[in-house]
Amino acid sequence: MENILYRILNIAQTYPELAREVTTVLRWVFVVLAAYILLLSIFSLLTTRCTPEIWGYFLVENGGNYPITHWENVIGRSRSADINIPVRTISGNHAILARRDDTKWILKSLSETSDTVVNGYKLIPGRRYLINTGDEIVAGGVHCTVAPASIEESRNNEKMRRLDKEPVAPWMILLAITLFQMLTIVQLIISMGEDLTPGAVISIVLLCVVMWTYVMVFKAMGRKGFEMEMIAFFMTTINLAVTSSWNPGNTVKEFVSMMLGLSLMIFMCFYMRDLERTRRLKPVLIGLSVIVLILNLLLGTIKYGAANWITIGGFSFQPSEIVKLAFICVGAGTLEELYQKNSTIMYAAFSLFCLGCLAIMGDFGTALIFFTTYLVVSFLRSGDLSRMILTGVGAGLMGLMVLRFKPYIASRFDVWGHVWEFADDQGYQQTRTMSFGAGGGLLGLGAGNGSLKYVGASSTDLVFGFVMEEWGFIIAVLLVLCIITLTIFAVMSIMAGRSTFFTICACGAATIFLVQTILNVFGAVDLFPLTGVTFPFVSTGGTSMLTSWAMLAYFKTADMRRASSLAVEKEEHNA
Amino acid sequence: MRKQERRALICLLLAMVLLTGVVVFGARFVKEGGKWASFYGNSQIYTEGVINRGTVCDRNDEVLLECTSDGPYYSDDWEVRRATVHAVGDPHGNIASGAINIFKSQLIGYDILNGTYDTSAQGKRIKLTIDARANVTAYEMLGDRTGLVGVYNWKTGEILCMVSTPTFDPADGIPEDDGNGYFFNNFLDGTITPGSTFKLVTAAAVIDNLPGRDSFLFDCDGVNEYNGVDFTDVESHGEVDFRGALAQSCNGAFGELTREVGASAMQEYTEKAGLTEPVDVNGVMSARGSFTFPADDNVTLSWAGIGQADDLVNPCAMRVYMGAIANDGEAVQPTLIKSATFLRELTGGKTLGRYLEKDTARELRSMMKNNVVENYGEYNYEGLDIYAKSGTAETGSYYPDAWFVGFTDDENAPYAFVVWVKEGGYGSEVAGPIAREVIRTLEQNNS
Ligand SMILES: [Zn+2]
Repeated sequence: MENILYRILNIAQTYPELAREVTTVLRWVFVVLAAYILLLSIFSLLTTRCTPEIWGYFLVENGGNYPITHWENVIGRSRSADINIPVRTISGNHAILARRDDTKWILKSLSETSDTVVNGYKLIPGRRYLINTGDEIVAGGVHCTVAPASIEESRNNEKMRRLDKEPVAPWMILLAITLFQMLTIVQLIISMGEDLTPGAVISIVLLCVVMWTYVMVFKAMGRKGFEMEMIAFFMTTINLAVTSSWNPGNTVKEFVSMMLGLSLMIFMCFYMRDLERTRRLKPVLIGLSVIVLILNLLLGTIKYGAANWITIGGFSFQPSEIVKLAFICVGAGTLEELYQKNSTIMYAAFSLFCLGCLAIMGDFGTALIFFTTYLVVSFLRSGDLSRMILTGVGAGLMGLMVLRFKPYIASRFDVWGHVWEFADDQGYQQTRTMSFGAGGGLLGLGAGNGSLKYVGASSTDLVFGFVMEEWGFIIAVLLVLCIITLTIFAVMSIMAGRSTFFTICACGAATIFLVQTILNVFGAVDLFPLTGVTFPFVSTGGTSMLTSWAMLAYFKTADMRRASSLAVEKEEHNA
Repeated sequence: MRKQERRALICLLLAMVLLTGVVVFGARFVKEGGKWASFYGNSQIYTEGVINRGTVCDRNDEVLLECTSDGPYYSDDWEVRRATVHAVGDPHGNIASGAINIFKSQLIGYDILNGTYDTSAQGKRIKLTIDARANVTAYEMLGDRTGLVGVYNWKTGEILCMVSTPTFDPADGIPEDDGNGYFFNNFLDGTITPGSTFKLVTAAAVIDNLPGRDSFLFDCDGVNEYNGVDFTDVESHGEVDFRGALAQSCNGAFGELTREVGASAMQEYTEKAGLTEPVDVNGVMSARGSFTFPADDNVTLSWAGIGQADDLVNPCAMRVYMGAIANDGEAVQPTLIKSATFLRELTGGKTLGRYLEKDTARELRSMMKNNVVENYGEYNYEGLDIYAKSGTAETGSYYPDAWFVGFTDDENAPYAFVVWVKEGGYGSEVAGPIAREVIRTLEQNNS
């Protein structure tokens, strides 16, 4: 193998004209491969939706027969209730009916004004009661009961699900990514020559090996849906190529971070199979986050104007990146929790604490990510649009106040929208991003051939321009489409979601990815002030890479397509 | 759960924001990518702040400037360098309207598919419409004087000659701009008192507004006092009619014609002639001329009608007007870059619309021929089918500025021209021969 690489290097150095011709052709090949890989994955992810499963029936006197398609359901008069009984004696949100892992049902009355009686026993509002199928429930005077899904029903379910479109088989995509990776190595040898370190080459090769191993292992375990991982592996490939071009010595570090992230993701997927277990982890996560952030405040070092780094034993990382993971989990909640005030207050308090810490660090970009995520998640929880707008406006005003005391950030707002007039001072990074990025055209100059890399923060905050220059506008836009796809997938997952906990997790993670991408891309090309935020998976930086991969677990847990996700126990409803 | 389904749409809203932003950026990328890529900060195409690829040549493939990674190389001929520097531009961008500046993205070989990617790294060859030899002739004729010569093909819009003095030799080091106006292109950036050349605008207004112009007669005594102000001519013209007034450039007669036409018609015809708007030359906007025609002050109005008072004309706009007269009233947009397609040759240049009615243009044309026959002498322009108007503009200096504007109408030489020599003296005697020699050079070189 080493032999082949040296031979390529030799040829490239002996026949530079030939090498340039190779690059000319490769640029096309890369774009075609990338389009094939991503569009196929995106298409598969968005078209293979799953039929909601029927877990039982809710029977109401006088003929109502409601299939229960979620694990968590609101019973009530409100039209947005999952089991909608339009009878005046029933409250808007009357009760919650939830299915447990062990297939038993839980009933919890939410209404203070209208009674719920089970087998003659009046339920105390706010308390959970275990009920059996067939128990007589009288809600607001209406007689009803929970009926199990018959075995026949389960079989029908099975049949229905077999009719569902299967996720695309991963093999062709895997081959395409492998080809992409190998050609990337060739291209990097041509462009970088002896500057390319063996570590960089090995990292890309190892990424390929890890990718195949991952798919084969989980395929052997009967899993079918790998589109999200394929997207992530592809984006990671671009990351390694960017890192190799920017500073080849760092590529190994990126690879190791990716491995850590992947491991964390697999761990989280398995851990989160058990909803109760995950819920119990919340206080622990809050505690750890608080400790890490306080450590950051005490020991933080300043990089690029924000004190959001800590270095321990020569290993430096961004605590706020890791806290993002906890932030999503803390914000998520089961349907029951969404009706509990103290859960909401705890989330608000935790968010406020995180935002406070970020404000002190001066990390405006990350603060914006946390805040937007908080707004979206609280809206998902409460549905209170007016409060969301009020909070948004209030915080916006506070943000403006903060800006006045942070000249470093304020100066970025000053040049926003007319960076070309400040091309050599505050607009330096943005104008270079656009100039070099445009120089890449649609096809790019070829990996390693860019010049944006000599501009500060090119491989992190300006990585969109970096990709534009070396890989072309098409691939850069495809990367953005990947993030949008993950979002659409997260939203779609709610239709068949088990618990609001998982769907809120997925939507929260999607929000973080989205806001990061918006700030990164918009900031680099002057659609928004430059805030110094990373592009998920693509920006260099170990912590960012690790977090991006771990975040993927939240999307996997929401993937309810048949046998597709490792985060969902296989065929459990047949048990 | 159903509630969450609806609320989750807010995530899609955020996704829409991202998508919209990328679409907006994509549109900008398509529209301005070339400009961004050729920005001086792009070290792919700039070596020490100087563009490092691309070749600029004239219409006959004479190389005017070659940019390499070792620096720029100009023509070997110092006269060519000085005569074409305003058209070609300097690598440091001091001459904003220079080709190297406006065609930067073509020069570096930018296209949206490949960006600045270029296997040869030699950039592209761009062909200007100018003729280096004709430019040299113009430069030699202007000598040390400040002035300009602009010639363009009034059918295709191709600019064949564009010389502005004072000029400099770019191979000799770029001068510090010490107020000598080396970087100033009089032709595109200048606004100058038009003097009698402006009578061509007044005449157009007269043709359209005074049906009785054929019976117009003016008795010129050389002083032509009006309201206590003298509209002096160099000599007494005696009794002149409308055609004679233009041929003799009689100030007294045109003062009266202006008053008869009136302020609002003068304003209207100046605007119709395109003299109050900038001319777009490949995206570079020429300076905008300015005129005032007071309705309540007949003396000033008269002066304005004979090209004095506050009148300031941009030479490029004046030349487009000449082209419009030649082209039966329709103006053609000038261009500095040789179009690669034959279609352009066949269909003519991009039209700027109708400046004059066809009959008006025809009558003006005949009067401009009459000027040559009666005043400038056809024998002075042997072999040229020339139509012209001279101008001698008083600017307060001892010597007036000399103007000569007009066009030729040969199958092979449909040229509209503007010549101006600052403080050159009498218009047709000074500026006329410059126009003649430049057009002759062009005919020799391009037939
Ligand atoms: Zn007279």
